[in-house]
Amino acid sequence: MRLGLILRLAWRDWRSGELGLLLAALLVAVGSVTAVSLLVDRLQQALISESAEFLAADRYIGSGREIPDEFRQAARDLGLDVADTLSFPSMVFASDERNQLASVKAVSPGYPLRGTLIVADAPFGRGRPTGALPEPGEVWLDSRLFPALDVSLGDTVEVGLAELRVAGVLISEPDRGGSAFDFGPRVLMRLADVPATEVVQPGSRLSYRLLLRGDDDTLETLRESLTLEPNFVWRGIRDSSQSIGAALERAESFLLLGGLLGVLLAGVAVALSAHRYAHRHYDHVAILKTLGATPNQVLRAFLILLSVVGAVAVALGLALGSALHVGIVAVLAEIVPVSLPMPSARPFLLGAATGFICALAFALPPLLHLHRISPMRVIRRDLGGAPPSQILSYAAAAAGSLGLLLWYSNSLWLTLWTLAGSGAVLLAFAAMALLLLRGGRVLGMQAGSGWRLALAGLQRRRRENVAQILIFGLAIMLLLILLLLRTSLLDEWQNQVPEDAPNHFLINVTPDQVDEVEALLGEVTQRMGELYPMVRGRILAVNGVDADTLESQRRGRGVDDGDGPRLSSERNLTWMDALPPDNRLVAGAWWAEDDPGTWVSLEAEYAEERGLGVGDVVRFDIAGRQVEAEVANLRRVNWESMRPNFFIIFSPGVLEDYPATYMTSFHLDRDQKPFLNRLLSRFPTITVLEVDAVIRQVQSIIARVTQAVELVLALVIAAGCLVLIASIQASRDARMHEHALIRTLGGTRRLIAGSLAAEFALLGLFAGIVAVVGAEVTVAVLQSQVFELSMAPHPWLWVAGPLVGALLILTVGLLGTRRLVSTPPMLVLRGLN
Amino acid sequence: MSEPVIRVRGVNKVVPTAEGQLTILEGIDLEINAGETVAVVGASGSGKTTLLGILAGLDLPSSGTVTLVGQDITRLDEEARARLRGEHVGFVFQTFQLLASLTALENVMLPAELHHEADAGDQARALLEKVGLGRRMGHYPRQLSGGEQQRVAIARAFASRPHVLFADEPTGNLDTTTGARIIDLLFELNEEYATTLVLVTHDERLAARCQRVIEIDAGRIRG
Repeated sequence: MRLGLILRLAWRDWRSGELGLLLAALLVAVGSVTAVSLLVDRLQQALISESAEFLAADRYIGSGREIPDEFRQAARDLGLDVADTLSFPSMVFASDERNQLASVKAVSPGYPLRGTLIVADAPFGRGRPTGALPEPGEVWLDSRLFPALDVSLGDTVEVGLAELRVAGVLISEPDRGGSAFDFGPRVLMRLADVPATEVVQPGSRLSYRLLLRGDDDTLETLRESLTLEPNFVWRGIRDSSQSIGAALERAESFLLLGGLLGVLLAGVAVALSAHRYAHRHYDHVAILKTLGATPNQVLRAFLILLSVVGAVAVALGLALGSALHVGIVAVLAEIVPVSLPMPSARPFLLGAATGFICALAFALPPLLHLHRISPMRVIRRDLGGAPPSQILSYAAAAAGSLGLLLWYSNSLWLTLWTLAGSGAVLLAFAAMALLLLRGGRVLGMQAGSGWRLALAGLQRRRRENVAQILIFGLAIMLLLILLLLRTSLLDEWQNQVPEDAPNHFLINVTPDQVDEVEALLGEVTQRMGELYPMVRGRILAVNGVDADTLESQRRGRGVDDGDGPRLSSERNLTWMDALPPDNRLVAGAWWAEDDPGTWVSLEAEYAEERGLGVGDVVRFDIAGRQVEAEVANLRRVNWESMRPNFFIIFSPGVLEDYPATYMTSFHLDRDQKPFLNRLLSRFPTITVLEVDAVIRQVQSIIARVTQAVELVLALVIAAGCLVLIASIQASRDARMHEHALIRTLGGTRRLIAGSLAAEFALLGLFAGIVAVVGAEVTVAVLQSQVFELSMAPHPWLWVAGPLVGALLILTVGLLGTRRLVSTPPMLVLRGLN
Repeated sequence: MSEPVIRVRGVNKVVPTAEGQLTILEGIDLEINAGETVAVVGASGSGKTTLLGILAGLDLPSSGTVTLVGQDITRLDEEARARLRGEHVGFVFQTFQLLASLTALENVMLPAELHHEADAGDQARALLEKVGLGRRMGHYPRQLSGGEQQRVAIARAFASRPHVLFADEPTGNLDTTTGARIIDLLFELNEEYATTLVLVTHDERLAARCQRVIEIDAGRIRG
């Protein structure tokens, strides 16, 4: 057959509406994948760049030593933007002999590369962004340093040997939350002023960072070109802030999963409509063959037809996807101002590939079968209508899904999991669907005529209905899974930093201040935690081996000590008689309240990174005296709880005699901030750590991620509905014929409408039941394995799932078969519908 | 009327069923000459439709040979048989078998289009005029009556100027008057195109108009 004829045939097919559903399914496949991946692509870029503000850069190279100039030069050569920061603790002195330990950050021009500095006109005032930096010879101070040092703007303070003018109030800088408890009150100054301070001496605690800004590829090139000694660490947002990194990763997994399911759903819709198209063309092909069309011509014709349909679907789908995406972004912009970066080419490539792969894997097998239709079918209708090879269909669909999933997710593991899960679910679903249909038939014998007809119909077309329950069930299940995951993800994120979480810490409270501080805090906040005693101490030896020796041994074996302080660094120690909230024992047991022994409890990660375990005997140096204690247990700590938490906790009765200071955390609303002024004026030696800005940053990122998740959910639901429509369309012919027959036998429209409604409702109900089972199992597995969330069953689902299933299928089904009831039976029986 | 256009030797057709092998045709031998009109008659289930399918190369016998227009179709594959059908064979069916998505004109154009003939449209229009549907060319099958649909089918059958025309119960779905008109039309065109006509029917009046009647009974030729 010539191309012209094939195209003419295709056009005639299209005109008669035969190709419409297939094209629509492919269109939605391409459109939804394009829209989802455009959104994911741009949101990911936006999320990453927004999160990058946490670093004040895209990446940084950090070290305790000065960053070699060649690093800086290499970065500049690649066209990256660079800036330097140097952080160190230092005493800051005010003129009237007041002093305070501060965390100084000295920065070069250009800082911050990402995010902005927030300053205020007065201590604890309302912040506003600024693009400026302190001028040379000037410093900006944290609000709380003003009362602590009793200085005002324009006064002079001393940092080391340098005298610097107080020129601004610093509310926050983007990379403040970089490491937990690096929260000394901040002093921001120019890097150029550091030499004059003479604080940079051998042995000083210094933290150098070379901040980098540029695109991912260039940054990666730089990373590969540099040989970083162990003293230099390369950091991005993921490894720098655990909670943000985790939220980002989960969101990406979710978006990815949503996209994957969207592809699979669209694939199912394509397969269904291709099957229907092929089925309706059995006679068509048989006639063409009697007229002399050879099998090869038929094959070629349908291949070309599919390519043309595929190409049209891809072209229109890309446009549709982009339009959809633009619409979503416009809607989103009304809720929150978003400025998304330009998309990469990948979403478009992905959309186009999806179209062609869907056409090949899902639509081709049933069409391939067409060339084998026997021409005898024109005189013997029972011939040549054998269904297409199921092995071929399933194998092609599986291969197509595998390919798409693999490309989309870039993860063999996630792909195989999804496919294996789907396969198992399908088998289980088929068994359940058969059982439900049987059970329904038995019940139906006692029911009224509409229901009896419906149940008889369901039982008679058992194969088709099992398939349909499978498809409906799968679609509903996928929707439920996304819904459940979304809910638990959001809950989890919101719980991570609750609204009223403590956002300020008080440390350095002396024992004689405790009562007064508690009273003062009680005036402004009801949400105050306990005051915990703290004693400074350091580890000298473990099981008789010197701590420094241990550490060098471990380093020699190449064991990563993590990023934390060294084993022998001085730490805050406390004592407790009960396991604190937000802590979970992972090894050993908590001590009894009256246990006279000397025990310590260690934070699990801290212990693991330093090779410590239950039963080890640790010798401490506390205020010049040595104390030996046995490790009783290891704890996991929820650091995001924003309550005071400790790496090392002693059993009661050991530390009480040592000089202790107290710490606590509390929540303060924004308008209550001036209270800090009062508190610090009254107790200048107390240190307040403000983490409210950091918490707000975390919350804004989580809100953005949440929106992305919800949008993807909406898109996948749209794909799911298309599957439902395609599936109902696919069974429309058989139903139409049957109901026409019943009407000629005297069945009223009412009866037909009633039985149709009953049939769809039952299909939906069964599919809903099947879906709930599948969703519960899958969500349990996903939550525990992929998202690392805690899992719990959802009793409401068992009621809502089947009910929603019944309503959904009923609605879509009745809308899709409106004509079925209204078409005169004569037309249907004459095959003229 | 000398050269046999169809020659059948020792044809059997056996199909497997749930109850074992079922013999549909047994020991069929026959010859049909070019230009001859032949009616195949027999009761329902006698095997006449199966025979038609085999004669036309739509189906293959279990054993025996069938020569159609000089070619042994039992030695051809489906590809070659399809080409043979396209070049030499036309069909008219009881259920019309028009493509529902094509108009009357497009249905009639189809055989010529499959042969890549340039004037498919003109030929089809002429044929439709001839069968009296000149004013209904743009109509779809569902917009035509049964008689009109069969006329379209007849026009389509002659569009490829076949050597042999096979008709399977061409009046089976039509009322007596319409059936009679269709038969007239069929024989008229058959004469005009000098086509060999093989038709399966149990309409005795229709059979009587053929030069020869072959009666099938339980899979064998009678007499």
